Amino acid sequence: MAQKPTPRSARQAKIDAVRKDGGGGANRIVVGAVVAIVAIIAVVGGVVVAERNKTDRVGTSTAVPAGAAGMGQGFVANADATLVAGAPTLDVYEDFQCPSCAQFEHVMGATVADLATQGKIKLVYHLKTFLDANLGTTHSLTMGNAAMCAADAGKFQAFHDTVYANMPAQEGAGWSTAQVKGFAERAGISGSALDTWQACVDDKKYNAYVESTEEASGKAGINATPTVVLAGTKLDFDAVPDPAALTAAIEAATK
Amino acid sequence: MSTRVADGLGSIARLVLGAVFLVAGGLKVTTPEASAKATQAYQVLPHDLAALVGYALPTIEILLGLLLVLGLFTRTAAALTSLLLVAFVAGIAQAWARGLTIDCGCFGGGGTVAADETSYLPRILEDLGMLACGLWLARRPSSLLSLDRALFRAA
Repeated sequence: MAQKPTPRSARQAKIDAVRKDGGGGANRIVVGAVVAIVAIIAVVGGVVVAERNKTDRVGTSTAVPAGAAGMGQGFVANADATLVAGAPTLDVYEDFQCPSCAQFEHVMGATVADLATQGKIKLVYHLKTFLDANLGTTHSLTMGNAAMCAADAGKFQAFHDTVYANMPAQEGAGWSTAQVKGFAERAGISGSALDTWQACVDDKKYNAYVESTEEASGKAGINATPTVVLAGTKLDFDAVPDPAALTAAIEAATK
Repeated sequence: MSTRVADGLGSIARLVLGAVFLVAGGLKVTTPEASAKATQAYQVLPHDLAALVGYALPTIEILLGLLLVLGLFTRTAAALTSLLLVAFVAGIAQAWARGLTIDCGCFGGGGTVAADETSYLPRILEDLGMLACGLWLARRPSSLLSLDRALFRAA
């Protein structure tokens, strides 16, 4: 006499029968294809969205400030000064949101500006915006553009110094629109020049230029701020900790 | 080792590896430009290609993490994850050997840091630990509580 199957194994037999009809459970190829398609859409979509967001953030203006030789080139802050013979170039890489840059400016800023005015260095600023990427903000780029707009009014250095004297209490908090305008006024931009500055800020006139100096310096391996390069050699702040040491290093680099 | 114990170990390997990849991808996916710059800081790939890889990596990590946590296509996911980990270890090792001072950008951040802020060896050891999980699963993908088992039991 054949043994009667228990209810449980009868149910299992039915499940197995159904599975067999369906080709052994879910079809691996179908599930695999669905997963692969979802994955491709997610990855490609993510890349496309990231690129579009970047384009939206930067804009498409092709304006280059008068103090810069072209896209990706640094901004010469003392183009109007007469350089002494053999004056070295001081390249300063800064992100307006960078607290260490504010520290550098606090200690060295006045000396650097004086040496630039006296023509003892060719002072070149390379504005960086990588902290925007890290912090998920647009303050570095916005302030970079505003500084270049101030340069159009001949007030770059004053604007730049005002910003570093008024850093947000917390990195990434940035500045309000009204605050930025206040910096422009304190830098000595007024009247119709202030209107021009405001229009330049609203148009994001130099966004693409500022982003181009970020890209160019990143390509050159400069991904930290402040980075200061004297006559082609990166300055070691341990060796050059104060204005006196900086002045001496610059004198030594003067040919 | 009994099959059940080995399957249990497989589940643990899946969850550990999957969770780490989910977290790593999740922390970076909202800041793709930072991920792009972190990738560029390794100075391995051409600049523009590195940006694209940086944009894509967080999503890829999340997808692989999901597959591993769910236990779906465990062998393929584990093999791809292991390949990525080998690439990460190679990337970190070459940065270390070349004297670059960068943050690995593994869980966000990235880019150049001060020389005394680098942590190459701990990152490499972490990756090797995860690689061990990945290789185990690529070799023996069977584990408890997996979609592979629930969906494809008859196979």
